[in-house]
Amino acid sequence: MTNAPSETITDAERYPTLSAAGRAMLDFLREHPRAPIYRNESGNRLTAEEVVRVRAFEQEVAAARVGWTPGEEPPWLEAFVARALDEVPFYRSYGSRPRRLGDLPTISRADLSRDIAAFVPDPVPVDRLINFRTSGTTGHPLLLASHPVVAASYLAFHRRALRRFGLELQHGRGQVGVVLLGLQRKCFTYVSVTPTQDECGLAKINLHPADWRDPSDRAAYLDALAPEVFAGDPLSFAELLTLPVHVRPRALFSTSMALSAGLRQRLEARFGCPVLDLYSMNEAGPLAVYDARAGGHVLLQHRLYLEILDTAGRPVAEGARGEITLTGGFNFCLPLLRYRTGDFAALRWSGGEPVLVDLEGRPPVRFRTRAGEWLNNIEITHALQPCALARFALHQSADGALRMRLPAGTDAGEVAAATARITALFGAGQPLHVASDPQWEDKVVQYTSELEGAGL
Amino acid sequence: MQREGPPLEALLRRLAETPEDFLAEPRFGASGVIEVRAVVADLLRLGGHRPEPAPLAAFAGEDARRDRNRLASVLIATWLLADEWFLAAKFPARELLSILQDDLRDLAGLVAARKFVTEAERREELARLVLARLGARPAGETPAQAQDRLTTLSSVERARVLRVSQAAAQRAREIREALARKAAEESADKWTRE
Repeated sequence: MTNAPSETITDAERYPTLSAAGRAMLDFLREHPRAPIYRNESGNRLTAEEVVRVRAFEQEVAAARVGWTPGEEPPWLEAFVARALDEVPFYRSYGSRPRRLGDLPTISRADLSRDIAAFVPDPVPVDRLINFRTSGTTGHPLLLASHPVVAASYLAFHRRALRRFGLELQHGRGQVGVVLLGLQRKCFTYVSVTPTQDECGLAKINLHPADWRDPSDRAAYLDALAPEVFAGDPLSFAELLTLPVHVRPRALFSTSMALSAGLRQRLEARFGCPVLDLYSMNEAGPLAVYDARAGGHVLLQHRLYLEILDTAGRPVAEGARGEITLTGGFNFCLPLLRYRTGDFAALRWSGGEPVLVDLEGRPPVRFRTRAGEWLNNIEITHALQPCALARFALHQSADGALRMRLPAGTDAGEVAAATARITALFGAGQPLHVASDPQWEDKVVQYTSELEGAGL
Repeated sequence: MQREGPPLEALLRRLAETPEDFLAEPRFGASGVIEVRAVVADLLRLGGHRPEPAPLAAFAGEDARRDRNRLASVLIATWLLADEWFLAAKFPARELLSILQDDLRDLAGLVAARKFVTEAERREELARLVLARLGARPAGETPAQAQDRLTTLSSVERARVLRVSQAAAQRAREIREALARKAAEESADKWTRE
């Protein structure tokens, strides 16, 4: 990678279609007397033509059927594969188009990490490329090629997810559409407007007290913004629950980490709105949303095909757990051909649509009980579901002892409940050390073990 | 190219009519259907040879990313070499293996295998190359004519590939530079972050 200097861009480039009303929204967000210290600047970057294009895509997504017939590949797949083999330098070396998708090799995060340029199709113009970085937990930091249209297209899938819960976005001019909440020592924060939503406001803020002139400003500012949607992760939502806010959002989007049923229930009770647990990744955008009625995460993208593979790259038996592997996607700068995500789930059908069941963001790890029985980590996830833990990490030492790490400030009652559930699962006398960690990293490997045979 | 071979048209027709079995997916672990190593061994037996395991190892499918196109190309070439004229000529096994191992490795780096069947110039290049490596030329051509035509076909293709690869390297550089210029997250709005 070259060390080219970062671009200096202007507001005209950040907000190419900004109207007076949009400017007023930006000023309101930035200059409110209780506003946080905004550390950065960013924008939608959409041209007028691209706004039209994104709106058309939203209509396409709204009308599309998502899924395919079990045992068959979707009809769009053949042309997608042919185009990827023709236009994408990395895939071109595979040779001719196969009869079956499964005859092509798989790729992983390590391949994208090695040289992302090889995955950008030849026809994509270079001048409007943007990037998204992700640190991840696998040791392969990623710099992903994207485009303002791709970033704006996320909303099409958010709308589709909301529709499952009977909601249509309503906020527009003069209102705030979304506040993205972070809780990190260092967080990228900025304000913007969403042109496809009549320039409603967007604020990405950090709830960490260090980003505020007075910590009490947090609740006052959120109440003043009254966004239609909060987006965040379980950590920032747990912090939101501690604030004396009166705001009534119409929905919460939770991403990045597994959301426990306990925390979901507390959020839903407090805000009186649905909490949408989105399965989303920088490589492919919002993939699925949890819907208890379907028994798992229902897919959101109509041009994305999922395979579930075992460690040797073979399809697992129908309904069995394996690694989620993606082909397709809406990021035209990064078409995916059999991309192994590193996430695990089973694919089952509910009412004719594919559903990811028992989704876990990491390879399975087995834990050994006092009686010598192996437990899949998914069983621990299930056991701790009723506890309102924002995050936890569990490690088993070579001697079988467990160490559970929790973010500092986790409610003592929840710690006691989690301890009791772990003990019940592993058997009486199970050594368990609970550690409160004030330095909780943004992304943590949730399950680890030193025991031989723990990896599956 | 001292030896006069079969009419070029016959070989081109044979390639154009390559049966599905020879266009099937080379086997890699659990995926694919055709064990290319076994097909090469069959070819050698048809030519009256007793195949040795060591040289055949080059045709075992190990890494699909690296070898898929090469082995698919080898498979098509075995169909060509199973033509009656080649079998009757009883070429030495090492010459046949040299074509399948070395020449096909080079060619597969430039051409997607199916094009040896679907594109007229690539069919001709493969047929002429195989004849030339075995010291033969198409019926009715002088050695000089045969050599000229092969050189033209392969040099045009190599020049095209070179142009494409130079352009690709330049574009990859531009993409890396464009991405590096954008500060992390200073990019565009998403309503959720991962």
